[in-house]
Amino acid sequence: MANPFSRVGEVFGRVPRWVYVAAALVFAIVFPMLESYGLMQTLWLRLGTRTLVYVLLAVGLNLVLGETGLLHLGYVAFFAVGAYSTAILSSPRFDLQWNFWLIMVIAMLLAMLFGFIVGIPSLRLRGDYLAIVTLAFGEIVRMTLNNWEWLTNGPGGIPGIYPPVIFGWVVDQPAEFFYLLLVVVVIVVALVSNIKNSRIGRAWNALREDEIASHHSGVRPTQAKMLAVVMSSGIAGLAGAIFAYYQQFINPTYFLFMQSVIVVCMVVLGGMGSIPGAVLGAVALDATPEIIRQTFTTWLPRAVGSDFLPAVQAALQTDFDRYRMLIFGLVIVLMVIFRPEGLLPNQLWRREVHEEDPREIEHTRQHLFDFEEGRQDLEV
Amino acid sequence: MAGEAQTPLLEFRGVHTHYGRIPVLKDVNYRVELGEIVCLLGGNASGKSTTMKTILGIVKPTTGQVLYEGKVINNMRTAERIKLGIATVPENRRLFPHLTVLENLEMGAYTRRDPDGTAVDLERVYELYPRVYERRSQRAGTLSGGEQQMVAFGRALMSRPRLIIMDEPSMGLAPALVDQSFDTIAEINKQGVAVFVVEQNATAALSIADRGYVLQNGRVVMEGAARELLENEELKRAYLGG
Repeated sequence: MANPFSRVGEVFGRVPRWVYVAAALVFAIVFPMLESYGLMQTLWLRLGTRTLVYVLLAVGLNLVLGETGLLHLGYVAFFAVGAYSTAILSSPRFDLQWNFWLIMVIAMLLAMLFGFIVGIPSLRLRGDYLAIVTLAFGEIVRMTLNNWEWLTNGPGGIPGIYPPVIFGWVVDQPAEFFYLLLVVVVIVVALVSNIKNSRIGRAWNALREDEIASHHSGVRPTQAKMLAVVMSSGIAGLAGAIFAYYQQFINPTYFLFMQSVIVVCMVVLGGMGSIPGAVLGAVALDATPEIIRQTFTTWLPRAVGSDFLPAVQAALQTDFDRYRMLIFGLVIVLMVIFRPEGLLPNQLWRREVHEEDPREIEHTRQHLFDFEEGRQDLEV
Repeated sequence: MAGEAQTPLLEFRGVHTHYGRIPVLKDVNYRVELGEIVCLLGGNASGKSTTMKTILGIVKPTTGQVLYEGKVINNMRTAERIKLGIATVPENRRLFPHLTVLENLEMGAYTRRDPDGTAVDLERVYELYPRVYERRSQRAGTLSGGEQQMVAFGRALMSRPRLIIMDEPSMGLAPALVDQSFDTIAEINKQGVAVFVVEQNATAALSIADRGYVLQNGRVVMEGAARELLENEELKRAYLGG
């Protein structure tokens, strides 16, 4: 099948990578200013802030799903652990207002501990079994939050979370949260990139390729997988802790199974095992539904007249969450058809999904040509 | 080469292994001397692969001892054993198909922490197999069977082993390449690396080996110098198609 993306990809592939990173950073830094100068509704800034939380989650899950090849379906549980750490330690619920840094550390360590605990029985399992166990774990955590009323106030959730104070700076504006998250994203991405290219990163990739062969090379499979799970859990805990501050109110419905699925979709959409892919996947999947909603409820009616497709407008306004999942599904289906390796694939995965690498075909062609021209003997 | 060395490189002393409650190896004794090629013959389900796994520490003996250079290594992890100098060419080679040839070789040196020494060994592998050098940036899955074989050998050599254990290295190769791969084994051996090779292709394996063991139902039923085994009537009937 002719791939409509390939030619575009060729052009964009020539631009060095740092240009994209720099462009994305500049965009991210300027983005909140658009709001403060009145060029953009606050709605978009809020969306952007939420997207950064998803970016953290996608980058974290990518360690497990993309690099190590483990289908973990309970990722939102670690996010919940982080969020409830903040909610309990910095709200009127128990009349506590602990230090921001301390809460970050507690949230991460607690999430990592949970990752470790769920890892002990599940990392010896493979494929489908791991998916089922982790899925169940995610539900256990959510049900616990829902029923442990003394600690979590059950379905009622925890309101009135105090804003974080960082070196005397009270973070309570959307733009401030955006920048806080941006700093955290940059730090996490830098750390994860380093790990990815280290010895342990190679061990993860080898594990994903062939567990037995990597064991024979001296990788300790359970230990290496555990490290991936624990680290990604820590990232989710961190994301959750900041998310709770930002949201000011959390309850168990923020941590439904669907959230785990959405993060999996982001990693798959972006390209498994690719950090830029995870970032782009999170941005694309979180922003696309909102853009579509705005298109039909605001922009098109404004341009065409307010009676534009009133049924669609009404549906998007009242039942948006349902349509959001429909849009997610559509995006994933289109991508699986046209670009199964994801938007910004890691070289490795590109090789895996398309049986043949075009460069290799070219190489073979050249080889045959040389042979016909008598420049080379046929090799076996 | 066999010689009557003081301490064998690898030794099994009365090893029993079980999968759950099912016994596999039953009172097995092997000995691999320094620099020797030892060949292990046996039919399906005779315990050959379990032998390999026991040497690597993936399966632990229930009773008996596995010794390396005279030290019991029963409870040592795979990674530690590789550091001691045991490397593998696993069954079906098991390269990492989507990693490049170079990345595959690097995984062979995974347990090593000396980049300089690793670089020297990489050069050595390239010298031994110029074809592997040519293909270094190609992904391993696109290589021919013979080339994959070389990468598998090269990967094993990257940990600078003193003993390489090979599980059916000739499996799945074109007949012309089978002989070549046995030549390669002999060549590796000449560099002072002992080889413990499991094979179905008994004639070819015994022709390069110093000694051999025949495994049946988890028991060693025959052992001796390779030359004697090649002439053994019973063995000929069973394995050599005589």
